[in-house]
Amino acid sequence: MDYKAVIIGGSAGSFQVVTKIIASLPSNYPLPVILCLHRLKHVRSGFVEALSIKSQMPIVEPNDKDAIKTGKIYLAPANYHLYVELGNKFSLSTEDSVNHSRPSIDLSFFSAAYNYKKKLVGIILSGANKDGALGLKSVKDSGGLTIVQDPNECQVPTMTLASMNATNVDHVFSTKRIVDFLLSLA
Amino acid sequence: MVTDEDVQRFISAIKMVSTYNFTDYSERSFKRRIEKLLVDNHMDINQLSLKMSKDKDFLEKIVRDITVNTTELFRDPEMWITLKYQILPKLKKNKSIFIWHAGCSSGQEIYSMLILLNELGMLEQAKVFATDINSEMLESSKKATYKYRFNLGYLDNFDKVIRENPYNFEEKIDVPYEKYFDIDKVKDTITMKKFLREKAVFRKHDLVNDGNIFYSKFDLILCRNVIIYFNNKLQNHVIDLFSNSLYRDGFLILGAHESILGPVANSFDRTKGFYRKKQF
Repeated sequence: MDYKAVIIGGSAGSFQVVTKIIASLPSNYPLPVILCLHRLKHVRSGFVEALSIKSQMPIVEPNDKDAIKTGKIYLAPANYHLYVELGNKFSLSTEDSVNHSRPSIDLSFFSAAYNYKKKLVGIILSGANKDGALGLKSVKDSGGLTIVQDPNECQVPTMTLASMNATNVDHVFSTKRIVDFLLSLA
Repeated sequence: MVTDEDVQRFISAIKMVSTYNFTDYSERSFKRRIEKLLVDNHMDINQLSLKMSKDKDFLEKIVRDITVNTTELFRDPEMWITLKYQILPKLKKNKSIFIWHAGCSSGQEIYSMLILLNELGMLEQAKVFATDINSEMLESSKKATYKYRFNLGYLDNFDKVIRENPYNFEEKIDVPYEKYFDIDKVKDTITMKKFLREKAVFRKHDLVNDGNIFYSKFDLILCRNVIIYFNNKLQNHVIDLFSNSLYRDGFLILGAHESILGPVANSFDRTKGFYRKKQF
């Protein structure tokens, strides 16, 4: 299957997992990787730097209407919702929080599923709320591939369990198997 | 579930009964807000369109809800620190300083600016203009009464911008809140002082249809987190308007994650945090 993008959602307990995943991707990774992670409202800077230490791919917080390019990791900016627009670009919004979250994982996943349809890989990691569950369902319903981190391995399994409840996910993977799978797409 | 055809029907319906034109809004977030409108009003697109055509107040309410009105006092303190130390000092020698807040929403950005101008001793010479597409938002801006508890977190922003000096952490500037607003904890309100409320000029203005409605050019235009709701075409149109409305060397401040992408970018020099109109 030739995929066009990978989108990853995570919240409480996902930082180390995300760090491991992106550290393992080579600098010439052939897909864009979109990260939608909950973070503290006032921690606005420093997050990209923290993630970048281990990453071989460049990590950017996209500006509104930036084109989505392969070989980059995009991190939803703090306090904005991140949408994928038709025409393969981002848009941002400061609408109200969804599931008490801005960025909301659901909103990013809905729009990515709508744009990429079956050519999208959606991954939900450790997290303490249900944001992302309906988003992952929309990826599945649009024909994309769905993966959750194994709840037994998650620091906080609420988000992955909610996702598994919302839809029949394709794979329940450990962090290591998520990494192996992503590398197999390269 | 709202389809793309529904979105088009909604846009046409509003166009039929008003001058509002949402054709060139960013699609994903606009569609989501229509979905929310339908749920909140317990209506389908046809019912909504019919009611908008008969009831002007309802139409205005729908426009208020379809546009996004998130704002806070001294939102993004880094931007205000840039204004305080890099931009406003360059304008201080001017006899008059013309400032336009485009898309002012409920007005917190205007009052943040007026407070900062006053602290810099520049309030007298400043001419501050504020516009929004929605009349209800303009009324909120003029009233300048906000929820206290909701805005409590933003008093930190006030401290960072007004009371602290990022270049000298030892220095603390003693500015009491009462100098600028009254806090009523029982009523849960925070209200801007009269001398601030009387300073700005408010006008209804639609960035899609209207040009520069003021009889002046500007030294500084702020339009933050507004053009994210527009597609590239409309963004170019609006930046063009700003470029034509600025004096040479004038400053343009967009939202933290907004940038000028079209050809009009050539008319500006970009520095971290702001744009400046070129001399030529």
